[in-house]
Amino acid sequence: MTRHACIIAGGQNKWGVREAHLVDLFQEAAKACLDDIPGLKPKDIDGLIVATSYAGRCSFQVNTAPVIAERCGLKPTSICVRIDVLCAGGSTGIILAKGLVESGNADIVMVAGGEKLYTPQKWEVFYSELASVDHDWDGVHGMGLPPPFFALTAQEHFQHYGSKKEQLAAVSVANYNYAATNPVAQMQKALTLEEALAAPVVVPPLTLYDCCPITDGAAACIVTTEEIAKKLTNRPLVYLRGTAQASLNSVSVNFPGAHLADWKHTRIAAEKAYKRAKVSPGDVKVAQTHDCFSISEVIEVEELGFCKKGEGGEFCGSKQIELGGKVPVNTDGGLLAVGHPFGATGIRQGIEIMKQLQGRARHQVKNADIGLTHNLSGANAEHTIIIYGQEPVK
Amino acid sequence: MSVLGIPVLDNLYPATMDMWPIEAKEFNRSYTFYENLKKGRFTTTKCKGCGHVAYPPRVICPECYSEDLEYVDLPTKGKVIVLSEEVKGVPLGFNSPLIHAVIDLGADPVRRFLTRIINCPAGSLKQGDEVQLAVFDIPATPIEKGKAGTIMAERVFFAFEPVKK
Repeated sequence: MTRHACIIAGGQNKWGVREAHLVDLFQEAAKACLDDIPGLKPKDIDGLIVATSYAGRCSFQVNTAPVIAERCGLKPTSICVRIDVLCAGGSTGIILAKGLVESGNADIVMVAGGEKLYTPQKWEVFYSELASVDHDWDGVHGMGLPPPFFALTAQEHFQHYGSKKEQLAAVSVANYNYAATNPVAQMQKALTLEEALAAPVVVPPLTLYDCCPITDGAAACIVTTEEIAKKLTNRPLVYLRGTAQASLNSVSVNFPGAHLADWKHTRIAAEKAYKRAKVSPGDVKVAQTHDCFSISEVIEVEELGFCKKGEGGEFCGSKQIELGGKVPVNTDGGLLAVGHPFGATGIRQGIEIMKQLQGRARHQVKNADIGLTHNLSGANAEHTIIIYGQEPVK
Repeated sequence: MSVLGIPVLDNLYPATMDMWPIEAKEFNRSYTFYENLKKGRFTTTKCKGCGHVAYPPRVICPECYSEDLEYVDLPTKGKVIVLSEEVKGVPLGFNSPLIHAVIDLGADPVRRFLTRIINCPAGSLKQGDEVQLAVFDIPATPIEKGKAGTIMAERVFFAFEPVKK
């Protein structure tokens, strides 16, 4: 019998500047996750996949998975591992959990991601960002902190496609307004277009609300088989239909597209994920894309096929990413407003899509049967896509 | 009385906090790149088998996996395609303005090369401007050499700068 992987529960703790240790954050997320599924106990979980990239630098902790397992009262017997692909660690964990449960090498896997980024002296996390890109060749040029790279990307999008600052601001406004009522978001305030356009400059054309914050936080979800899921929950099942991950470049040379606003590697990953999921872009009713910067979401809606290449600015500026639009995007507030503790982000996205497909999201999209998550990691080094559905792939 | 810092690390060199590459031959097989840079040469590796030129330099050809590579010179002058300037909030280790640019050095694989621009006041660089290689000294690396004690391995690094008109 074919084993189909499902995401059946999930939760995150409060994200922001947290007075807490890395292991505290993971415990809070594990509790939030199991609170979402009363029928599941820690002893039932036979696999743990931990996604964290900065544990080594900001918490002086490597070999993180056994530590997290112990603190969370888990005793995994099938898999206990930590992965590091920066901003895509969480979604990568979900992909790996799918493979493990569908192949019969694990039954019930917790995927938990988190980061403690604020250190006693604030310079350290920014300094450590030198390691988020190729340290010796790119970080050394000051390209570890991403605003300059995405400012260049935005400028090339403006030049090649005629998009405008107001369209970037429309992304910030949509995502902040989605997060305004989200109690676990880092930024819980409504934003107007005027406020977004009047914000302080970071790196032109990017201003404050175009950039996601630095965030402490964690999230966890449960991936298991359809058969086990039916015993644990009465909620509608949400299947992991198709996934892909494309890694194609370094920052200083070898960018795969014709210019920085041409994301060939997103298209490659999307094509593969759609094919595996047996759906097309037009089938996607709701998406969580990697809005580390407003310009990222503009380009992602193009490369994921929600609109034509070059028309992402118009798509976002004409409210197609909002409820009632063609594809509501980042309906919980996205990275821009919920925050971005790197390893946790893909899990947060997966949880929101799960809730949308189960009909229990805060900003519910009508008739949501197919949902998509997308992460980019590093300075546009890798793209990770997961397509979720109310039915398994047949 | 408490002091800032970590007392047990006084006078020690933590390589994990070094913003620059560990360039010395003892730790890096691409040390030739840095030795050439000290002479003002901007180089990378070319495969003697298939002819592929790769940047950054490496120890195998990424196309054919040959280990038979040689260092070849890359152009040291190019033109700005697009640029960004960060004036406020520049991270530790860099001065304001922190300027980045995609430059065209006119030859593969550096027709679109993303780099840092130095020696350039804020607001003065424009698309199409000519830039050139700029090599500068960075702090030496202390390397333990057993009974010979600790040697200081001199280092340089590079950015690009505007060509004076």
